[in-house]
Amino acid sequence: MEILTLKNLTFSYPEQTRRVLDDVSFSVDEGDFCVLAGGTGGGKSTLLRLCKPTLAPHGTCTGEILYKGVPLDNLPARESALRIGFVCQMPDQQIVCDKVRHELVFGLENLGLPQKEISRRVAEMASYFGIEPWFDLPISALSGGQKQLLCLASVMVMRPDLLILDEPTSQLDPIAAAEFLHTLRKLNRDFSLTVLIAEHRLEELVPMCDKLIVLDGGRLLGADTPRALAPVIAAHPLLLASMPTALRVGCALEDSRYPLSIKEGREMIASYAHQGTRALPKQTPLQDRSPALEFKNVYFRYDRAGHDVLEDLSLTLYTGETLCVLGGNGSGKSTMLKAAAGLCKPYTGTVTVLGKRMRELRGQALYRECLSLLPQDVQTAFLCNTVREELADAKITPDALPFDLSHLQDTHPYDLSGGEQQLLALSKALATKPKILLLDEPTKGLDAEKKTALAEILRTLKAQGVSILMVTHDVEFAALCADRCVLFFRGAAVSDGTPRAFFAENSFYTTAARRMTRGYFDEAVTVRDVVALCKGETV
Amino acid sequence: MHALDRLNPFTITAYFLAVAGIAMFCAHPVLLTMTLAGAVTLCLVRRDVKRRYTHLLYWGLFALTVLINPLFSRHGATVLLVIGNKPISLEAILWGLTSAGAVLATLYLFASFSAIMQSDKLLYLFGSLSPKLSLILSMGLRYVPLLSAQWHKIKQTQTVLGLYKEDNVIDRVRGALRIFWALLGWALENGIVTAGSMTARAYGTGKRTHYAVFSFTRRDALYLSLALALAAGTIVPLALGALDFVFYPTVVLTHAGALSWLGYLSYGALIALPILAETEDTAKWKYLRSKI
Repeated sequence: MEILTLKNLTFSYPEQTRRVLDDVSFSVDEGDFCVLAGGTGGGKSTLLRLCKPTLAPHGTCTGEILYKGVPLDNLPARESALRIGFVCQMPDQQIVCDKVRHELVFGLENLGLPQKEISRRVAEMASYFGIEPWFDLPISALSGGQKQLLCLASVMVMRPDLLILDEPTSQLDPIAAAEFLHTLRKLNRDFSLTVLIAEHRLEELVPMCDKLIVLDGGRLLGADTPRALAPVIAAHPLLLASMPTALRVGCALEDSRYPLSIKEGREMIASYAHQGTRALPKQTPLQDRSPALEFKNVYFRYDRAGHDVLEDLSLTLYTGETLCVLGGNGSGKSTMLKAAAGLCKPYTGTVTVLGKRMRELRGQALYRECLSLLPQDVQTAFLCNTVREELADAKITPDALPFDLSHLQDTHPYDLSGGEQQLLALSKALATKPKILLLDEPTKGLDAEKKTALAEILRTLKAQGVSILMVTHDVEFAALCADRCVLFFRGAAVSDGTPRAFFAENSFYTTAARRMTRGYFDEAVTVRDVVALCKGETV
Repeated sequence: MHALDRLNPFTITAYFLAVAGIAMFCAHPVLLTMTLAGAVTLCLVRRDVKRRYTHLLYWGLFALTVLINPLFSRHGATVLLVIGNKPISLEAILWGLTSAGAVLATLYLFASFSAIMQSDKLLYLFGSLSPKLSLILSMGLRYVPLLSAQWHKIKQTQTVLGLYKEDNVIDRVRGALRIFWALLGWALENGIVTAGSMTARAYGTGKRTHYAVFSFTRRDALYLSLALALAAGTIVPLALGALDFVFYPTVVLTHAGALSWLGYLSYGALIALPILAETEDTAKWKYLRSKI
């Protein structure tokens, strides 16, 4: 039975002629797990919001949205709030109350349910989601992943039939994201909950979904099973870039099997592996070995009674290289970056920046033509009302930047898309002409297209002589643009090597391309590597 | 978890209101001595004041109040000594001690009260008055740590971008102002998302209920009725003038036999009630543990 039907939906924002959605029609069956894909600015968010009456954006809308055959506008407010759940990308902003317990009951209180009913539903949900251990905590004590899980749980207590999610994992690290998606899949299987989700992280989602809905510039390219849609996607390089590695390799090889999961990918690789070479030429480490930034036996802890966050850390960033630091949550990666930026002071050990000890760099000396940091939360970099003021404030000449912001001059920083915000913050970080650039999770919330653009910018900066130290969870991105990778564990760097060597040696903490080709090829870590090897070329 | 933490917020509030009311509005050395002894004991038994420094502050305040009154008060007939040409009278000293004791006892009472009444309980209390008020409180409590964390983040970012200086006072004030405006913009921006999240979960579609996790148990009934009876046992003699105490010009203690005794005993029992509850609880635990 169709739970949601869109008929010729067209939408444009007030005072704009561009149609954000153009004649979109598709339907979602009850119990379906649907993934909405498409580039940034392709109308995904607008479409999802139109399906939730209280969040529907203002503008001109023609066409129809039916919920179980009833036009959405005819559905009473209470009914639509109850039946259609909505989770968006910012966990912190969605949470209304101060404690986990209060947040869980918020929706039920709004419905005016009696005490007994609330108790039962909350108990049920807290057990199902594994919230019990942190049930009494204040929100401020939760991790990002826990917050997003709480957002989901506090929507689920209202027992919706249709759950809409707008990039729910974009602010989470890969482990928390995987857990969140797993919970979602479980809800879908266990209760036949209909899920409509828009997401950048399609590696795991596409193989598990029942229906893939692809938007391109506001038009519907297709709504079908991922395999049926694969030929259509193959014709759109930008869309293909966000698809799972297996499909990207398959499409590049013009293989009509269209593999989706790692498992199917391996089956396909098997048929190519026996022909031609097994390995790519070894990547050679940089020759110039003069250190730009050096940690020597550094120890740090946040408070006296706590444990060491950095424990005997020795790490060197060489001049002109891009070093990626990978590792789990709480391994001390971000703290290392803070120590490098002079935001926290180690209690033993030395940090040397461009040949000078950190202690000698008093006041502003560290931040002038020396070192700069792009924070994880880029919004913290913005102080002004327009991009123009923002650039003037940091004394930046837009022409000197390795990217173009001129078309955005009069926009408010908060109105920029995630990728544009990233660029604006990056331009502020580059204003002091740093020789060392520190990046904290630069790919968080970016889609495949923006990631490629960012990699290109980093390459330009490197060519200009900037040494880059990047902390990231994104193994695919690290494989793409690092000269050297380091794995962080319990406050110290445990292994390092060139991306190919590094990811080839790891069997769990590695790229999808590597997992797909293990046993068939040596040291193939990116889609490009795999395709080259399958075609028998050497790069 | 102490015995008092498990009582219903209404019981607790009623108790503390009764004791604090009597302590604040009757200046009677005997009653106040009892209040002070009880409040300090309760605080120590429950370890409600975490830092020693706080105790020092309380007692310092007490000492100051005790000293100041006799120096400035000219009332009192029994002059003990003369400093400069100011007479220091016994009555003024006694009045100083009593009023300072009242302040000190109230401080300790409130320390215990605020330790027992965590945000959950306050919300419950206000929520029963109005579900909206409790929601506003809860949202406020959510925003305080959120904003302070964001403030810290913005400051760090501005520092590493070389845009925040702390070289002198003017720089600091300007820096703080800039962060404040950035924070305000961020909060407003976030507010829109939060509002969306509220309406998405049926906020404003009907009458809200307030979900409370506290129930009114038999223990509550017992403690509340005991507390009310004992408070009445104190207030009645007070109202009838059986517990009057006059400081100036000379100290006069009214004693009206049985009625006064009723007052003293009731108030003593009222003060001892939470301490007994706590110790009884600890004893019970120890007994049960020894059985294992």
